[in-house]
Amino acid sequence: MFMTIKKMKNIIKILFLVSVVLFTSCTDAFDYSSYVIDFNEINCGVNNKNLQKLKTKSTSDTIKIAFTGDSHRFYDELESFVSKVNEVNQIVDFDFVVHVGDIADFGLPKQYLWGNSYLLNLDIPYFVLLGNHDMVGNGGQAYQKMFGDYNFSFIYGDVKFVFLNSNSREFQFNGKVPDINWLDNQLKPDDDFRYAVVIFHVPPTDADFDANLTESFHETLDKYNNVLFCVHGHLHHFETYKPFSDSITYINVYGTEYRKFNTITIYNGEYNVSEYAF
Amino acid sequence: MRFKKLYIFIVILSLNVSSLWAQSNNDVKTKDTTTWNKFIPDYVKLQYAGGIGFLSAGVGYTFFKQHLDVSLFYGYVPKWFTVDDLHSISLQFTAKLFRIKASKNVEILPLNIGWYIHHTFGSKFWVKLPDNYPDGYYWWSPGLNAGVFIGGEIKTKLLANKTPASGLAFYVRAGSRDLYLASKAGNKSIPLTDIIELGFGVALYR
Repeated sequence: MFMTIKKMKNIIKILFLVSVVLFTSCTDAFDYSSYVIDFNEINCGVNNKNLQKLKTKSTSDTIKIAFTGDSHRFYDELESFVSKVNEVNQIVDFDFVVHVGDIADFGLPKQYLWGNSYLLNLDIPYFVLLGNHDMVGNGGQAYQKMFGDYNFSFIYGDVKFVFLNSNSREFQFNGKVPDINWLDNQLKPDDDFRYAVVIFHVPPTDADFDANLTESFHETLDKYNNVLFCVHGHLHHFETYKPFSDSITYINVYGTEYRKFNTITIYNGEYNVSEYAF
Repeated sequence: MRFKKLYIFIVILSLNVSSLWAQSNNDVKTKDTTTWNKFIPDYVKLQYAGGIGFLSAGVGYTFFKQHLDVSLFYGYVPKWFTVDDLHSISLQFTAKLFRIKASKNVEILPLNIGWYIHHTFGSKFWVKLPDNYPDGYYWWSPGLNAGVFIGGEIKTKLLANKTPASGLAFYVRAGSRDLYLASKAGNKSIPLTDIIELGFGVALYR
C-alpha cells in the first residue's frame, strides 16, 4: 500500500511537471473557446495606431495607396501580398495600404489575429475596413477591439478618406447601414480637404446592400461634387465602372486570392489605377 | 439570464454528485437496484480549456465495458478572459482504446480519441442561418461546431477510501475544430500550434 501511494504521488508529480511544461511552452494552445476575444496590445486599436503613424509621414502632392481585401482564408496569399508591397514600396513609396474587408472568413477572433499577423509586417501604415464575413458570430466585437469604429475617416494631403460600413445584410437591412447621415456629414465641404475618396466593402449594386438606401447613397456621394472615386471589395475581382448616371467611378479592387493587387495614385484631383502581381 | 443558466447547471451537477454520495453511503455502489440508480452518471468531470470553456463541468456514462464515454459538458468563459462571457454546451464521445493496468491502484489509458459537437449560447452564435440571409449564404454556423481530439488518462484509486467515489482520474487532451482545420487547410504560414486546443481535467468515477 505504501508503495502504491508513493507511485501515485510520483505519477501526480509527473503529471504536474508535464502540465507546467505544456503551460509554459504553449499557453496559447490552451484554447477556452473559438470566440474568446483576447487581443494583446499590438492587436488592439490598429486603425488608430496606423493613423498616428500616417500623421508623422511627410505628405507630398501625390498620394499612393495599395489595396487588398477579401483575404478570407487566403493567408498564404496575404503573406505574399505583404512582402510584395514592402518590396514595391522601396521604389514606389506608398503612403498607406487599405484592406477592404473580409479579413476574418468565419468572423473568428483567431482569424483576425492571423490576418493582422501578416499586416503587422507592412512597412507602411494600413487600415482595415469591416466586411460582412468579419461580423459572423462575435466578429463585430473583435473588429471593434482590433481595428476600431465601423465608420471612420481621416484627411491626408488634400483628400478625405471615408471608410463606410456598407454591410447592410449583417444589420438585417435596418435602414441604418450604410449610415447616410454620417456619410453626408463626412463629405460636407470643409477648408481641410478638397476631395473625398469613399471606401466600403459591399457595393450598392449588390443584393447585400440595402436597396432602400441605394438612391440616397448615390445622391449623397454626388451632392457636394467632391468625391473623386469609390473603392470597394466583396466581389473579389478587379473592375472599374460607373454604376449610376453621375460621374463617380467605382473601383472594385482585387481580392488577395488573385495574387494581384491594385494601387491608386492621386495627384491634384486626378487619379490612376494600376496593378502588381505577387 | 446568463447566470441563471449557470446556476441551473450547478444545481443539476450538485444533485448528481450528492446522489453519488448518497448512493454509496447505502452501499449500493456495486449493484444498481433501483431505476433511479441506473440513471446516475458514471462520472463527473471538470476540465480546463480544450476549446469548450475556461472551465467545463461534465457528466456522462460509459458504454461497452468502459470503452466509450458519452459526456455532456457545460463550459464557461468569464468575461475577464474575453469581451462578453461565453456559455456553451458540448456533447463528447470518447473512445478509450487501450487500458494498461500499471498497479493495483493505477490504470493508464494511453490513447483516447474523441469527437465532439459544441454549441455556444447567444443569438450571435446562430445554428440555423437567420432569415435575413439567402439559403447557403454562409456554409457553416457559428453556433454549432464539431471537433476531434486525442488524449490520455490515468485512473487512480485516489479518494476511493475516504469518499464514496471509486476513483479519481487525470486526463489531458489535444484537439482541433472544424473551423480551425478549415482555416489551416492550404496555408503553410499558419503554425500548427495555433489550431490546437489543449486541455486537461479530472474525472471522479462512481
